[in-house]
Order: sequence, then C-alpha cells, then structure tokens
Amino acid sequence: MKAFIIALVVAVALGTLAAALLNQQQRFAYQAFSTSGARVSDPAGHSNLVGPHWNGVTPDPDKPSKS
Amino acid sequence: MRRTPTTFRTLIAATILTAAVGASSTSFAQQTRDGLNPTGQNPTAESVNEEFLFKQDPKITGRISIPDGKAANLIQPAGRDYRDFREWWLPWLSALAVLGAIALLGLFYFFRGRILMERGPDTGRKILRFNGFERFAHWMTSSCFIILALSGLNYIFGKRLLMPLIGADAFGVVAQYAKFSHIYLAWPFMIGVALMLVLWLKDNIPNKIDIAWIKAFGGFVGDKHPSAGRFNAGQKMVFWMVIGFGSAMSVTGLMMIFPFALTDITGMQLMQVIHALIGIAFIAGILAHIYIGTLGMEGAYDAMGSGKVDLGWAKVHHDLWVEQEQAKNASGPQLGRHQVPAE
Repeated sequence: MKAFIIALVVAVALGTLAAALLNQQQRFAYQAFSTSGARVSDPAGHSNLVGPHWNGVTPDPDKPSKS
Repeated sequence: MRRTPTTFRTLIAATILTAAVGASSTSFAQQTRDGLNPTGQNPTAESVNEEFLFKQDPKITGRISIPDGKAANLIQPAGRDYRDFREWWLPWLSALAVLGAIALLGLFYFFRGRILMERGPDTGRKILRFNGFERFAHWMTSSCFIILALSGLNYIFGKRLLMPLIGADAFGVVAQYAKFSHIYLAWPFMIGVALMLVLWLKDNIPNKIDIAWIKAFGGFVGDKHPSAGRFNAGQKMVFWMVIGFGSAMSVTGLMMIFPFALTDITGMQLMQVIHALIGIAFIAGILAHIYIGTLGMEGAYDAMGSGKVDLGWAKVHHDLWVEQEQAKNASGPQLGRHQVPAE
C-alpha cells in the first residue's frame, strides 16, 4: 500500500512539474506566429495598433496632427 | 386569294432560317463542349490545374506572409481519409477491441473460472517477489495508464457517449481536464515505462523455457503447470507489449504534444492514427493483464500488493525462480533487507 500511495504522489508531482515546464514553453498563437508588422487585433490588451497613448478617438485625416 | 401563297412563302423562309440557325448553333455548341473556342484554340490548355498540382505533391499550398507556414496549406485530400478514420473507423475499431477483450475475458472466466491456489506444504509461507521500488514503478506506470486510457477513450467516445448523458457544458469541463491529465500524466507514465525496462529487462529475455511454457498453454489448459523463471512467457509478452507499445505511444504522443515540430500535416495525421490504434490495442492487452493479476488467479495480486507471495503458489507458477532465490538466500549475503527466506 505504501508503494502505491508513493507512486500516486510521485505521479501527480511529476505531472504538475510537466505542466509547469510545458506551460512555460507554451506561447499563444498571436505571439508565436506574429510578424514584426502591424497587428489589427489586440488580444493581450497591453498595446494597440497606434501606440500606448492612443485615446480611442479616430484622428481626422484633414487636420494636422499635434505631435 | 393572293395572300395565301405569300403567307406560305414567308412560312417556308422562316422555317429554313430557323433550321439554319439551329444547325449552326449545334455545331458551335459541339466545339465549345470540347473545350475549344470558335477560333480553334483552347485558352486553358496551358493553365495549371488541380490534377497537375497533385502530381507534384500530395497537397496544394499557397503563399502567406505570416510565420505560421502550415497555414499556407490549401487542399490536402489525405485529410478526408484521416477524418473518415477518426470519425468512423476508429470508434468502431475501439469498441470492438475493448468490448471484445472484456467479452473474451468474461467467457474465459465463465468456462475456466478463477485459477485457485493449490494447497501444499509451503502454503502460508511467504517469499518476496517484488521489492518496494519495483512496486512503486509498477503502480506509478499503471495508475497513469488508467488515467491515460480513460482520457484517451474520451477523445474517441466522449462526444458520442458522455456528452448526451451529462450535457455539452459539463462535458466541455470534463474533456478539458481529461485533456490536461492526458498531456501531463504522460510524463510519469513515460518515466515509469523506462524504469520498468531497466528493472525487469534481464528477467524478460525470451529463452527455451518459454517455448515449453507456450506449448503447455501456460497451465491454463489442464492441471499441469509448466516450469517458469521469475517471469513466465505470458508475463514476458505483457512486459514486451508494455515496452513496445509504451515506447510507440511515447514517440507519437510527443509528436502531438509538440505539434509540427518534426513533421507536417500528413505526419501529424499519421502520428494520431498510430497513437490511437496502438492505444486501443494497449488497453485491450492491459485488460487481460489486470484480469489475470486480480480476478483470474488467486494469489497473483499479492505480488504487486504486499510484494510477498505465497511460497506454495510461487513453487507452482515460478518454480525455477524459487529455486534461484533459495540458492541465493542460502548463501546469506544476497538476502535483501525485507526479503523473507523461503526455506
């Protein structure tokens, strides 16, 4: 019985270790397969197409930009 | 009266004209039906068609700008064969293998019954058959195998059998955790298979005694028990099945854990077909192993339960091994820490 219990504990421990290591290696598809070019979607929510300071207002192409 | 011949002439002229137009359009239609245009040329004769492309490669790929090269795959007819296998052949083959194995074992139990321990002068005395580490390796591998088998069967039968019973939402959660357990417990399983190979390889090399054991049907037929060493031919078959199937499942499983790392879409499909087919054969084989180690034979479970088996049972089923152990124990130094002297 002792060998059986130890086997279960070790199996779960090794499985947890495998999970941790594999998840470290894992990347989302948008990270793994993205190019250095512009991205139109923002899955991570950290950045967007027009830069981190974008206020959500679409600029008018007729007006000159402030910056 | 003059109007009648005029009308008649007009009617004949119209008929001739209609017939002429019809005849010319028929010949024109025949030309275009052959793929020729009125100029006598075939404008698509030089163009690339699907048939031509499939002569070059089993799949048609396009050109893409993202780094995920496999997304360029446009048409792969082998994928239809793979889908047919997965959706039709695989469930039926799996059901046949697993239910067939259970039915055969049921029939065997019905006709042969439980193989009972034969009482003798050594009955009641114990001999150590598997030490703690051996039992640990066995139980780690086997407990992982049971989870892997159940979660593997869920891939095949879950949506067909389980989902109608518990609903799509609950099945989604169950399938997700089954998938996690399948991917993560595969690692202790692989380690366990490697451990068992190292631990028991030397006792599982086939020899002449195995041929005699097989000829005597392993004692399952009749009352005579053929001689056997630590493992008889049947146990050696189980060992090599676990090593062979375990290795094949590990290689194909790793290819799926790291998809497209070493192979393309055709290779991935092939890996899954091999993984699934060996998996169901593995489950069927292990069902027989579980049966004979528990219900099928009295006294057999103790070998992996406590590690110690009845000496009388051991002398009947593994006489050569008992002689070997007794010879070792008689000389003293080889006696293991927890080993019980057999004599």
